[in-house]
Amino acid sequence: MKAPALSLTPRAVNRVRIAAILGVLGPGLVSGFADNDAGGITTYSVAGAKFGYDLLWVLLISQIVLFFTQEVGARLGLATGQGLAGLVRERFGVRWATFMISTMLIANLGSIVAEFAGCGAAVTLLGFQSWIGALIAAVVVVVLLTRGSFKWVQYIFVVVGIAVSIAYFVSAVLAHPNWGLAASSLVIPRLSTLPAYWVAVVATVGTTITPWGQAFIQSYVADKRLGPEDLVGERLDVGFGALLTNLIGAFIVVACAAAVFAVHVQVDTNSPHAVEQIAGALTPLAGAGATVLFAIGLLAASFLGLGVVPLTSAYAACEAFGWETGVDWRMREAPAFYGLMIFFVVFAALFILTVPAGSLVQVMLTAQIVNCLLLPFVLVFVMRLSADKKLMGPLVSGRFLLTIGWLGTALLVVLSLTLVATSFLGF
Amino acid sequence: MLYLSQAIGRPVRDLHGEPIGTVADLIVAIGDRYPPVTGIVVKTNGREIFLQWGSVTSLDAGGATLGTSAIDISKFQQRPNEIRLKQDLMDRQIVDIDGRKVVRVNDLRLDEVEGSLHLVAVDVGPSGLLRRLGIEGPWRTLAHGLHRDVPERYIDWEDVDPVERTIASVKLRVPHKGLAELHPADLATIIDQLSRSDRAGVIAALDDEAAADAIGEMEPETQVDILEDLEPGRAADILEEMDPDEAADLVADLSDESRVEILGLMEKEEAEEVQELMTYGEETAGGIMTTEFVAVPATLTAAQTIDRLRELEPTAETIYYVYVTDVENCLVGVLSLRDLIVAKPNTVISKFMYDEPVAVRTDASQNEVTGVVARYNLLAVPVVDADGHLEGIVTVDDAIDTLLPQPAKRRLPRLFGRSGAAER
Repeated sequence: MKAPALSLTPRAVNRVRIAAILGVLGPGLVSGFADNDAGGITTYSVAGAKFGYDLLWVLLISQIVLFFTQEVGARLGLATGQGLAGLVRERFGVRWATFMISTMLIANLGSIVAEFAGCGAAVTLLGFQSWIGALIAAVVVVVLLTRGSFKWVQYIFVVVGIAVSIAYFVSAVLAHPNWGLAASSLVIPRLSTLPAYWVAVVATVGTTITPWGQAFIQSYVADKRLGPEDLVGERLDVGFGALLTNLIGAFIVVACAAAVFAVHVQVDTNSPHAVEQIAGALTPLAGAGATVLFAIGLLAASFLGLGVVPLTSAYAACEAFGWETGVDWRMREAPAFYGLMIFFVVFAALFILTVPAGSLVQVMLTAQIVNCLLLPFVLVFVMRLSADKKLMGPLVSGRFLLTIGWLGTALLVVLSLTLVATSFLGF
Repeated sequence: MLYLSQAIGRPVRDLHGEPIGTVADLIVAIGDRYPPVTGIVVKTNGREIFLQWGSVTSLDAGGATLGTSAIDISKFQQRPNEIRLKQDLMDRQIVDIDGRKVVRVNDLRLDEVEGSLHLVAVDVGPSGLLRRLGIEGPWRTLAHGLHRDVPERYIDWEDVDPVERTIASVKLRVPHKGLAELHPADLATIIDQLSRSDRAGVIAALDDEAAADAIGEMEPETQVDILEDLEPGRAADILEEMDPDEAADLVADLSDESRVEILGLMEKEEAEEVQELMTYGEETAGGIMTTEFVAVPATLTAAQTIDRLRELEPTAETIYYVYVTDVENCLVGVLSLRDLIVAKPNTVISKFMYDEPVAVRTDASQNEVTGVVARYNLLAVPVVDADGHLEGIVTVDDAIDTLLPQPAKRRLPRLFGRSGAAER
């Protein structure tokens, strides 16, 4: 009788066809679009509005690091058919798994709070109280939970992602940005010792590359039952997703730089006017309707995040501890899964209620910073797993990928330390 | 009683009480109901040595004591049926056959059985998790103060089926004996929770009939995934064992390449049946009918008909109805099993058959079929073509499938959509 692993190989030969590649286009693309959640849009906006084109180089670098981290995540999923948390548990034991899950849950809790803050900020722009935003966010989570299927959310992601990118692209073009300066800023870093600058740098990286994104891509690939023969298609998918997410980010930065920064608006992220100010990036496109357009975009972006982050978090925790996961179980059958979800929603909602409406933008930025600070702890596990020959088989990271992976991780550590140094130690 | 986690990392002492290393792992021989411990792995000076269990005089939470002072490491070799508990089982996923789900191993419980140490149970409960995290004691104190219990949950080793990947380090085919005895629907639930390679392993260990039954219970996308991952010859064998109507639906969902290849490898008769069924629309009586029914000529006696039933029963999907056809295969009557049994053995069946049988056309909609089945309280309804030829039957279980709204059908724990599989 044949060994089970071998039974996968006959398809490998004839699977690299266009249809097969199109078939796996998905996880990376969805993950990429989901990166531009409320925190993402806000962070890119603030970066452009406060520092003009100066931070574009960060986008280029985070795009490269995003591609390689997502590629490793996808490869882990392809090779093992398991999620990240489960693999960490099997390879490093229960204590390290608990450590990683806790790290990830803290980061994700931050992201969920940011999505709630996004909803809150969006409704305040539209003239409502921010608690209505928290209510809407909570309802969205419940609806997503009861609907269960993730399929239709994917399409919403793609549509919203495309709509947002088109809006910002058009707005950027209409604002007559300095394209030459933008292009040169993309490759030539303009450094600064201002703490606020490094806050923006770290937040930008933190919103692009996230702990939940790492868990998400791997679980998604594994749950789609993709296998080693889908490697080529999956790499294309991840590359495409990383490119798109950062292209959108770049246009947001350029639009904000041209329409807000260039007209000398001072954005203070702790002021009630911060959201209105960054919404101004859409004025060239929508005129007086810019605020409404931005509010709608921000609301939709929050929903993107609410569609993935809470589920991914609960999923990862339950996977590692062997608890029943998934929305098809009843409340009593999967208490941990639902318990975590309820905790996320209640915590995020209460948190937003205690935050003054003026600080919502600051809350979103802080969540991205927390993400970036905690990310290396997750990536260390990812990189070590990907170098395990026994686990990965032919998909093991070679010297090149491993070097890049560790360099990316090291870069994140350096960035985080720089932030700590500039903010708290006052260098 | 000893938990593996209590022994790991504890000192190993020789005959004179001199520490020579720490316990790194235990080895058991699987196959028996409760696998006996056959060896110990000792970590000493940064390397691992294997020792026969015979050289160990005691093992408890305080560590291990050896009966010798000189270590002989040359003789021991891990045999094919042996697994390392910590490396191969701890923190891994296993199938809880009794609970019909995939769970994770928190700890392993060892007990003295007939004088020697055996692996008896897998700890999958919160207490095991707390013990591994080293906070069981404080937690219990806290829980006690709050008048709460710390739940314990064990699975008897007999009810455990290690999933394939779990013990990939060992060249061993898992027999999956326990799995094979499950109801196909439960087996399908479990298989759906496994990763792709584990799934392939479980299917490989099942016989064709059990595999066919289990696959028949799965969702269409999963069926396609599994079949396409199988070697085409095996896929063909399994399809032959499935009900033709299910097989036809499945084959229709396969990629063009696999379909041609697998149909080519099936027995000619079965392949033709499947192909014929595939020509009907999926949502029509023809699409959901099966061709495995019992039809007899009107000239037989009751006794002869019962004999015929005995011959045909193994393949027919239902024998509660016997259909009566003329020489041109047109449906002329129907008998229930009850009619046959109460009739005198020598009576010709045309005398007592019901000669105005309810039937549906092959192009009737699924809803129509369901309506007929419900209205006449049938266990199966015959399907005829435009000329009245009997083509197949729709059994009540296939008919009521259409009544279930999609989400109410078996949906398994899964976060992400499976659109990819269907689009591929």
